[in-house]
Amino acid sequence: MYLSISIDVPDGDKNGFAGLVRQTDRIEKAKADFVILARELSKGRLAPGRVEAVVTLPWITGRLVTPVVAAAIPALHSVPFHIARALSAADFLSSGRAAWMPLLAGGERFDNAYGAGYRLASAEQPAKYADFIRATRALWDSWDQDALIINPGSGAYLDSAKVRRVDYRGPYFTTMGPLNAARPPQGYPLLLRDLDDLLHSGVAADVVLASPDRLAQADKGAVRLVKVTVETLDASLGLVRDGKADGLHLMGANALDMLESLRSWVVPPPYLGATARERLGLRRPINPHSQKGAA
Amino acid sequence: MSRENGRLHLWAFLQGIGFFPGGWRAPDASPRAVFQREYYEHVARLVDDACFDAIVFGDQLQGRDAAGRTPSRLAIPTLDPFTLLSVMAGVTRHVGLVATVSTTYNEPAEVAAKFAALNMVSQGRAGWNIVTTVHPNSPWNFGAPDLLEKSLRYDRAKAFVDAAEVFWRDAAGMDDPHRQAGLHNRWFDIDGTLDFPTAPQYRPVLVQAGQSPDGRNFAAQTAEAIFCPAPTIEAGRDYRDDIRERARGFGRDPDGILIMPGLAFILGSTEEEAQRKHALMLELADDGLCIEYLSESIGYDLTRHPAEGPFPLEQICAECEFPAGDVRRMLAPAAESGQSIADFCRAYARKPRGHAIFVGTPDQLADRMETWIDAGACDGFTLQPGYMPTELELFCAHVVPLLQARGLLRRQYQGTTLRDHLAVGAGA
Ligand SMILES: Cc1cc2nc3c(=O)[nH]c(=O)nc-3n(C[C@H](O)[C@H](O)[C@H](O)COP(=O)(O)O)c2cc1C
Repeated sequence: MYLSISIDVPDGDKNGFAGLVRQTDRIEKAKADFVILARELSKGRLAPGRVEAVVTLPWITGRLVTPVVAAAIPALHSVPFHIARALSAADFLSSGRAAWMPLLAGGERFDNAYGAGYRLASAEQPAKYADFIRATRALWDSWDQDALIINPGSGAYLDSAKVRRVDYRGPYFTTMGPLNAARPPQGYPLLLRDLDDLLHSGVAADVVLASPDRLAQADKGAVRLVKVTVETLDASLGLVRDGKADGLHLMGANALDMLESLRSWVVPPPYLGATARERLGLRRPINPHSQKGAA
Repeated sequence: MSRENGRLHLWAFLQGIGFFPGGWRAPDASPRAVFQREYYEHVARLVDDACFDAIVFGDQLQGRDAAGRTPSRLAIPTLDPFTLLSVMAGVTRHVGLVATVSTTYNEPAEVAAKFAALNMVSQGRAGWNIVTTVHPNSPWNFGAPDLLEKSLRYDRAKAFVDAAEVFWRDAAGMDDPHRQAGLHNRWFDIDGTLDFPTAPQYRPVLVQAGQSPDGRNFAAQTAEAIFCPAPTIEAGRDYRDDIRERARGFGRDPDGILIMPGLAFILGSTEEEAQRKHALMLELADDGLCIEYLSESIGYDLTRHPAEGPFPLEQICAECEFPAGDVRRMLAPAAESGQSIADFCRAYARKPRGHAIFVGTPDQLADRMETWIDAGACDGFTLQPGYMPTELELFCAHVVPLLQARGLLRRQYQGTTLRDHLAVGAGA
């Protein structure tokens, strides 16, 4: 059973650094399996955190040395090229433990900050969400996994045939590529979706989070994390026992206490495999451009 | 405070593999390590121990793939600068962390939030090298057909920085007399800021590298430190005088701006050894690599033509991705004289990016730095190690103690924020 938790600087805390370090170190000691840089809204939805997650993630993976670490990202306001580039580096520098969770939630706050041009009717939002993910992944596909050669003797640095322009044209995003960053060690960093944020998407997630009543609608093959608070813990443990969930995402003011007490009897899974994707038994994504298909 | 901080400021401008395009092939280079966390942690600790002001990573918004072909011999592992600096923040206590970010293909909200995060995880050590993006292929990655014209890019840059300033001031609970104008102007229409946590040094130190009149005006209005190429003392002094004059014109104290010319270097325990190493750098950049290097600079794939043949100038000018006028000016003499592609490219790759290159002993480098400072040609140097990590290690071990013994460089940090290290005042 996996244990997951989110982390952020609480509202009102001006320079929340000391608190963030304390929380992080407690989470590391308790060995969470997933840590999500996100804030909790009421009703159990997640939203991008107060601290910008993509920049915080590389720092925090120096203190959180085993878990998958996910950045919650405003899906309607982020730019595929920047996200693809940053998460490529984050995946390399965390040995394949980087993940991302695009979210619709928090949109109002970002609409105001990004300006009027970013406002989008709710009916259109799922399409932009999916296009954002597809465009970002298209850029990761601009490099084959084995493009780098790096042979100082011969002077061969990479195989030019394994890097290409992808010329992605979606309804909201257009991007040429290639990315100026190599394909991440996981192929694609793990994709998380909050089913309470967006129940159905044309893009399947690797890991889903959901309240108990939505869990059954998880994408096929995804790792399923059920959201729990102290009040719902017993019922949710039942879901895991019955094979309806693969782990718990701990929420509420007592989430960290819950993690610590659960860890006194929940043994962390044996971690085999070089990247988070391998550890979780998830398939490596296929690069449609790659000669060998699977590379 | 300025005294104990020393008269000489050092910044480390780190490309993944160092300055020389052939450097990744050196026997003691570590080209695979640039994809690993430990490498960046090691480098960061070195620079932090050596009392540099800051580490800087450049950034580009396009792959290097002139005419659709990514070079096979040119090492181009430039990882995202925010990511690298965030990792480095975790293992250092003092050194500043400067990310290059474009104002052309970003929004103020996102950039303000990212720098707030870097400032927080480093507790006040973030800096922003503000660029406007010059590569003609960059717009294609953002769904735009062409670059904005330069004066518009700098106009947007000014408005962008003003808007970001409002975000940072709001987060820190500071008033901003220009709040309305910062949020609503011809580039932006912003209704609210983001309540991200803030940190000591409420915003990043602002850094720029403008050379054109628009770029220099922007730098003189905005920057607290400026990078420039300066091949000679005279060029350095002219540039510094010009920026200081422009700053006065904008009502700023010119002492609030550090001028930091780029300086690449190769060190040896004797001059001969240093020369040998430099020769090796040039030799490792073989013809194939040099041809790819020029290809990248003009946006045209020269590997399609025989290396020993002449430049097909008309075809190049018709198809190149960089402005054809610039490319013609650059290649016409070679095309007219019938110089081979390989010969021209070899000469071109000897002096990458027009920066000054020092080759010699630690004593000679310390002398040179002191001479430039005494002549008022600069406030310090943006150092570009010839290849990594060896040349940086040599500099820290052998040049830093000399500079400290001469009283030029601080022996220990006098504060904890990047702005403390600059010692140029509290910011705008
Ligand atoms: C030392 C140095 C480093 C620079 N690094 C970058 C960079 O990483 N990315 C970028 O887009 N431009 C970079 N530039 C380009 C400058 O931002 C600027 O565009 C250039 O100096 C020409 O000035 P202009 O824009 O006024 O014409 C750099 C310039 C210098 C001198």
